Amino acid sequence: MTAVTDLPQQHVARLTVGAQAALITVIVGAICLALEGVAPWLVKWPIAWELPATEWVGTFLDWFLNAIKPAMRMFSDVMTYPMDGANYVLGNTPWPILIGLVTALGWYLGGLPMAALGFLGLSFVLASGYWAESMNTLALVAVSVPVALIAGGAIGILANEVPRVKSAVQALLDIMQTVPTFAYLTPLLLLFGFGPVVGLIASAIYAAPPMARNVMLGLERVEPEIKEAAIMSGGTRFQQLFQVEIPSAATQIMVGVNQCLMAALSMVIIAAVIGGFNDIGWEVLLTMRKAQFGESLMAGLVIVVFAVVIDRMSGTLATERKRYDPRAVWAILGFAVLFTAAFWVWLPNPSDLTLLDPMADAVDSGLTAFTQNNGPWLDALKNNSLFYVLLPLRIGLDQAVLPFTWGFQWTTSMSFGLFAAGAVIALLMAWRGHLTGGLVALILIGMLETGISNLPWPFVLTGAAALGWVAGGWRLATLSVVLLCTILVSGLWDRALLSLYLSGAAVFSCAVAGGLIGLASAVWSPVWKIVRPICDMLQTIPLFVFLIPVLMVFQIGEFSAFLAICAYAIVPMIRYTRHGLVNTPDEMMEAAISSGATEWQIMRDVRAPYAAPTILLGLNQTILYAFAMLVIAALIGTTGLGQSIYLALGQADVGLGISAGAAMAILALIADRMVQGFAEERRKALGL
Amino acid sequence: MTEAATPAIACRNLWQVFGPGADKALTDALSRSGNDADKAAANLREKGYIPAVQDANFEVKEGELFVIMGLSGSGKSTLIRCISQLLPGTGGEIHVDGENVVGASKKALTELRRKKLGMVFQHFGLFPHMTVVENVAYPLRVQGVSRKERLARAQEVISLVGLDGREDSFPRQLSGGQRQRVGIARSLAVNPDIWFLDEPFSALDPLIRRQLQDEFLRIQATLKKSIVFITHDIAEALKLADRIAIMRDGKIVQIGTPTDIVLRPVDNYVREFSKDVAKGQHAKVASVMRDGEGERGPDDPGLTTAMTLDAALAHCMELYEPVPVRDASGAIVGTVHPSDLAAALQVDET
Repeated sequence: MTAVTDLPQQHVARLTVGAQAALITVIVGAICLALEGVAPWLVKWPIAWELPATEWVGTFLDWFLNAIKPAMRMFSDVMTYPMDGANYVLGNTPWPILIGLVTALGWYLGGLPMAALGFLGLSFVLASGYWAESMNTLALVAVSVPVALIAGGAIGILANEVPRVKSAVQALLDIMQTVPTFAYLTPLLLLFGFGPVVGLIASAIYAAPPMARNVMLGLERVEPEIKEAAIMSGGTRFQQLFQVEIPSAATQIMVGVNQCLMAALSMVIIAAVIGGFNDIGWEVLLTMRKAQFGESLMAGLVIVVFAVVIDRMSGTLATERKRYDPRAVWAILGFAVLFTAAFWVWLPNPSDLTLLDPMADAVDSGLTAFTQNNGPWLDALKNNSLFYVLLPLRIGLDQAVLPFTWGFQWTTSMSFGLFAAGAVIALLMAWRGHLTGGLVALILIGMLETGISNLPWPFVLTGAAALGWVAGGWRLATLSVVLLCTILVSGLWDRALLSLYLSGAAVFSCAVAGGLIGLASAVWSPVWKIVRPICDMLQTIPLFVFLIPVLMVFQIGEFSAFLAICAYAIVPMIRYTRHGLVNTPDEMMEAAISSGATEWQIMRDVRAPYAAPTILLGLNQTILYAFAMLVIAALIGTTGLGQSIYLALGQADVGLGISAGAAMAILALIADRMVQGFAEERRKALGL
Repeated sequence: MTEAATPAIACRNLWQVFGPGADKALTDALSRSGNDADKAAANLREKGYIPAVQDANFEVKEGELFVIMGLSGSGKSTLIRCISQLLPGTGGEIHVDGENVVGASKKALTELRRKKLGMVFQHFGLFPHMTVVENVAYPLRVQGVSRKERLARAQEVISLVGLDGREDSFPRQLSGGQRQRVGIARSLAVNPDIWFLDEPFSALDPLIRRQLQDEFLRIQATLKKSIVFITHDIAEALKLADRIAIMRDGKIVQIGTPTDIVLRPVDNYVREFSKDVAKGQHAKVASVMRDGEGERGPDDPGLTTAMTLDAALAHCMELYEPVPVRDASGAIVGTVHPSDLAAALQVDET
């Protein structure tokens, strides 16, 4: 504390944790670069050292899946009954009655706005000519959701009742959330074979965790005094739970029902990839493959309509509802029945309706015209992003800078120059007191020169350990290194780095763009008025649909995948940034204003620091969203783990599918824990 | 009421310790300190345990209004949860109507709660999805009382707490004071012998608080329950209590009548509390009275034992000789010297 002299030794002794971690990373990186020529194994993990882990996993899983196959097949046989039933009912009910039912349900749940939403939404579906396909999809949802609700509810209650299994359940739910959706599908494919039942079960598995989570959360959050009042009333445990605690948690549980519905819908559509059977997801996939983008967009819109109707209607369950006149329900239903009876002979077969076909054609021709007219501009955007941003990030400046893209050839001396510049910047920053910042800058410049996919593995491990150490202590550091090592020895390392590069690039773009939009929304409310419905919409749309518009404009390729990921993953960043900035306590703002701070000073010195933990949580969500989308984006051209999972699905290779899925989950998990660690640290520092 | 009657509640060497393996830690600590509670508590704290209730000993007589007072964190809420067995209790015994409830079976506890116990909570603990009448009838519903019967009984207690007309409201539609009336009604639905109230009026506005205190006294005057009442407000404790137990850091530091607490605090901690209260409003004439007829002057301003000091002093403003004191029946039971009255009202300057 009393150090007056500025001796360098004392500086080293007083290095912060961050600076120490950064310094070690720099040293390891430098050693790897220096020894690249003599010891190539330092840069690239030799194939000879790889363990055939994916084969082992495959063998084990094959054995295991075969063992449980008979039981599972029986289960799937049982499930075909309700599914056929739902299919039959939905498929054969005259469409005016179904529209009437949905409209009446809308009225019952949310009055006129919801009734109108239901009516217009289903009318659009009818007009699109995808009625039959939609009903097939809806039948799947109708069967998988009750299964998911019951399973999720039971898991949530079990975790609540037996505290010992709670942490285990929570860990399991975490894993289920991070393992990409496609990875589920491969083992299910082996178990159940191709067909709609796979989609059904996959969507039930995928939709159960949000329900379980919300049930757990809801029960946990019931006021302790309400629980005590139930005990003191002399209720048995069963009475306490079902008469008091669960009804008290109804709001939270309804949030779970809403999320469960949305997850099931999303998964049913994704499952079309393996079990296409004339449902709407299959329609999208088919038209997309045939490059009929107009029709594909139309089918995508049908999905969006369903998503919006289901989301908004079930969303009303989680809010306090008014009671609406039940007579209107009967009136609507009565009208629907009368309409059906009166026009029975003239009712068109919904599949023959082509009211919106002209629109699809118009979109197609419009799109062609648009891409033709704006071709040079769009190509330039795509190519510039690829050549000057994505490619250098992926393979490094030393390989990406070529005469035909950048106009000159990268040379070794340029590398030296870049490193020298980096060192100068680092020294300057260190001299100004930002040693850690300087070292990090040096690391980033090194990464840019090498490219993420070419990073030496010791450097990546050290970097992860260093980040883990700073974010959450040695335990997180150990966890990160051990988990990454499993990827390293299993031979998935290269693909993992590729995934890391693409999701990293997307997350970085989302963080910058989303942060700025969030900031703008926070300081200027008209912006939020426009941004908010867009965010709502982006969060409602099933993942799959994001692919259609980017594909229409930019065709298959890494840039399209990048855009799709960004479109999906940017939303939490915007929301959390705005939320954090807007929710500065009034007292703090008033204190700042009365101290005479300007708007800008308040933002920089009060609101931004206070919002930091919230913004970090947004970043965390963005990372998880990006990983989730990465796998879906494999459909339109990404390399890396996502592609492996997708390929494994096509070849029914369980070992590869599960291993690559696990590797993906590991990356997501590590990123999640690190960002959470930083957020936690910020919260502690603020005393929250 | 004779002293020999079984107390409604009796706590002996009651401990509640929080922390992993608290049972064993407590036994160890007690055996090492030779059953010295203070040393054992210090020992537990050192090891990172939280002794929230330390060696509590007291009895609540039948029909008595027993108030436990202390600041937040003093362990009073934990203590009432031990007695009502919402917390298991780490050590010691709790006798309810002569039966030890520590270690009683789940079934026995449920039965006890269905028949004998009622509890009111600080934040009301109302079930948000039930109407007022459903909330109040719930303790009967879990026992399988028929709908008609339980609604009739619920209606009765709702009238008792003055909520007629709000039967079909939901808790969210009521004000704080009304909500606590529902809480009180619910706790009385099974007509329990023992009534626990955990800071029932702390969350209310001062005006509503006083209203409910008065009504509470009115209800208690007719029902004569055995009551454990928790509060952090010394004025409330003095106003309501037959006897008060003052808690500090998990320990009961003094048990006594309101007069005892005000006039004869055992230590500075208790004195600090009573400093803020106008003693004359809470101490009764009995506390400064000398027994027997004794020597006294000719005047008789009409003092009774139950009068507060303030009232008595107002009656003897101009007198200098000792005056007689009568009990409720009018018989002379002792004398009071006006100067003793004045002296008792002196504010401690410590």
